[in-house]
Amino acid sequence: MTATATSSRRLLGLAGLLLAAVLAIAGCGGAGPNASGGGGAAQRSAGAFAWLSPAAPPAGWALARLPAGRAALAYPPGWRPIKADPGTFSAALMGPHGRISGYLNATPRQGAEKLANWASFRTAHNADEGDRGVVRDAAARGLRFRSGTGSCVIDHYATVSAHYREIACLVQGSHASTVVVAAAVPHEWARLAPQLERAISSFAT
Amino acid sequence: MRTKLTRAVATLFALAALLGGATAGVAQATGGTHAHASRAHHKKHHRHHSRIPQHNGGDHDSDNNGGPSDGDGNI
Repeated sequence: MTATATSSRRLLGLAGLLLAAVLAIAGCGGAGPNASGGGGAAQRSAGAFAWLSPAAPPAGWALARLPAGRAALAYPPGWRPIKADPGTFSAALMGPHGRISGYLNATPRQGAEKLANWASFRTAHNADEGDRGVVRDAAARGLRFRSGTGSCVIDHYATVSAHYREIACLVQGSHASTVVVAAAVPHEWARLAPQLERAISSFAT
Repeated sequence: MRTKLTRAVATLFALAALLGGATAGVAQATGGTHAHASRAHHKKHHRHHSRIPQHNGGDHDSDNNGGPSDGDGNI
């Protein structure tokens, strides 16, 4: 064996090690960040949003429209509009002691929220507003709505007086980008989830 | 023999470089979801926009009083 052949084999071996290292890093990079809600979150959480099926509101539901027709949010019978920020709409199903059991809200996009950062933005924003124990349960991007596409997150948190679980979506439609929120207290979630999901599925902006 | 080995090494290096670039792309695309970065951006944002008042700042809506969080992107 010549010195040249030995040198070449060493070089080849070194290149092989380099390739193996890069492949290992690529494997970690593809799974780690995605699992925490990054670019792959849509695939991982798609099952959590399988209920999302764009459709007109059910018969008998009331329809609230944001100013200038930027969005339309339907809410079920028995729910009633409640005080909300100017330019937004909220409806609630009231529970014992005047507390909100179920909640729907539509708000024009107004901050730095984007389809790409929605899940992290929303949970961070909830924490910033004083909610405690904010936990992301699922997230997805590229979801189809009646009038556009959206990003959604399912999370839960505690306020000063109650615990809530929410579905919060940023929907980019043909007229505007609007946030729609559907929330309920955890012990009512199983009962109210079908209504919350129908409200989001029928949301248009 | 030497030519073949040189080509093989060159191919492996090219493949490694390509995969390295792809990995960096994934990291960059998902880096924006970091909670701290988002919060820092959010805090900065608060200083510039306040179209909808919160925290019992005059509107007293439900999310200022223990109710669910509404959809506003500001405080």
